[in-house]
Amino acid sequence: MRILRFTGFTLLEYLRSGRVALEIVATLVVYFVFLRRVGLGMNAEYFFSVTGVYTPALTLYSTAAFIGIGDRPQGYVLLSRGLSRASYLLGIFLSSLVIVAGSYGLLSIMAALFNRPPDLDLAGWLLGTLPLLLNVGLLSALMIMLSPLVFATGWRLFVLGLIALAFSSNFIGGTVLESLPEVVRTLLRAVQAILGGPLVPAFYGFQLAVTRDYSTGTAVANLFAQASLLISLLGLAIYSFSRRDLIFSQ
Amino acid sequence: MSTDVIDSIEIVDLSKSYGNIQVLRGLSLRVAAGEVYGLLGPNGVGKSTLLHLMIGFLKPTSGSLRVLGSSRPDTVRAQIGYIPERQRYHTRYTPREYLRFIGEFSGMRGADLISRVEQELDAVGLDADADRMMGTFSKGMLQRVGVAQALLCDPALLLIDEPTSGLDPGGQREVIDLLASLRDRGHTVFLCTHYLHEIEQLCDRVGVLTGGQIAVEARVSDLRAPGGSVLIEVDSISTELRGSLEAISRGVSCGTRTVRIVQNTPQTQAMVLRRLLDAGAAIIALEPLESPLEQLYVRAVRGLAFDSPAGPPAAPAPEAAPSRRPAEGDTLLNELLRRGGSQDSAPGATNAEPAAGDREQGTA
Repeated sequence: MRILRFTGFTLLEYLRSGRVALEIVATLVVYFVFLRRVGLGMNAEYFFSVTGVYTPALTLYSTAAFIGIGDRPQGYVLLSRGLSRASYLLGIFLSSLVIVAGSYGLLSIMAALFNRPPDLDLAGWLLGTLPLLLNVGLLSALMIMLSPLVFATGWRLFVLGLIALAFSSNFIGGTVLESLPEVVRTLLRAVQAILGGPLVPAFYGFQLAVTRDYSTGTAVANLFAQASLLISLLGLAIYSFSRRDLIFSQ
Repeated sequence: MSTDVIDSIEIVDLSKSYGNIQVLRGLSLRVAAGEVYGLLGPNGVGKSTLLHLMIGFLKPTSGSLRVLGSSRPDTVRAQIGYIPERQRYHTRYTPREYLRFIGEFSGMRGADLISRVEQELDAVGLDADADRMMGTFSKGMLQRVGVAQALLCDPALLLIDEPTSGLDPGGQREVIDLLASLRDRGHTVFLCTHYLHEIEQLCDRVGVLTGGQIAVEARVSDLRAPGGSVLIEVDSISTELRGSLEAISRGVSCGTRTVRIVQNTPQTQAMVLRRLLDAGAAIIALEPLESPLEQLYVRAVRGLAFDSPAGPPAAPAPEAAPSRRPAEGDTLLNELLRRGGSQDSAPGATNAEPAAGDREQGTA
């Protein structure tokens, strides 16, 4: 319950600061540029392709803004009260989630009112929204975990290095990869495969939102994988935050 | 309010390092329940670090720390009130809204919360401004919000960090008066500051933090004993008068227009004043140079030895001064006042008053 009260507290401050105007304007711009499509019509696949890219992009901004709100000396007073460190971190996470989900909801309502995809009903919207919002949560949790509030610089750079390695097949592949010694090549492929593993649920989640194909068990398994990954990231962030010295940015 | 534990704060051999920088080195400290303890120290010496350790924001590198009987301060946070150094609050809230949220975070609800908020707003004098956004508040008003939020849950222990830092003299006065009123509420208070007057006005006991340890502790009441140094300013001092004055004690030294008495006693001061008056010198001012607390602080920070094991410099014994009647000082002061009143020059009349005040405090 205290988490929800702190979420309300953070959201109210965010609304009063006027920063939410950026999210509203960005959402309106995305609607008018990509989803209004006068005379072109719109199907469900296109709708989820656009929102599947827009919501993670918005998550980057909104979560960064909430991390900024949380990483201030004002937090000392709040944390000196009954609010636990876990509640504090989860409150910041939920606040960013509410703002991004709210923007997505606004986009969906405008699309439903003014340019409804004929092949998308409420059930289909829910099936597409679920993996999409799980991806939003994953990205937000990752950002919070990598924030200065939670991870010390050394650990942050280490995790960012692992993420870079996971994506390295995009720039270390083909002829570059073939030119490397066999041992290095094998090792790099193994590392890329291992580190790329956690990225699979996120990418498959995007695909699932677009296709909404739940005919195989893989789709449901992916939802569990997304949820598990989300819980793991949040758990790691809370664990790290609870153990470290609390020093807010000035 | 919990009063089960005898010592509200019990710290033994506590150390804290940030990387290679060791801030606290084997610090030990006890604060009894109901006591108002002041921690003095230069900027950057680790006062805020110690406070943050006590409230659980920081983890000790080594040593033990018990707050309200618990070695894990996080678990007793609800019984601790904390007033941070910087007056940074969530300025997009009114104090009433802010305090209600703070109360909710502490588990308070309903009518009890509402009445407590109104009570504290009234106690800190913010009831008239309770619906104004805190962004429009002065630093002094924000510090009052800080006091209100700390008192909201009626804490057993109050941790206060530099309460008047950055405030103008009026704001400082307001906050000190407010904190002085807390003494009557029976809280244990741990106050970090680098302002000596705050210690003198608010605290029962004082410790000086330097070199990562408590260098010295003393009862503030003990520091009100005589022993300070005074400076007497006169119109002129002849060579003959100078010799006469410096013969009174080794602690008396003269310039062309000033007499300095180090480790002053009423007897020494009375003799100096008597000889000045007898020589017809016009006394322009008499003022204390350093209070005993200031001496204690300066000696601790400079790493100098103390006269007594308890720490504070002991009240000095009269030196070569011959014994005098105890009422000598009073008689001289009365004479000074009379002369000042009869003289044409105003300074003589007004400048005698601080001496009387000083004597009452035992410093002159």
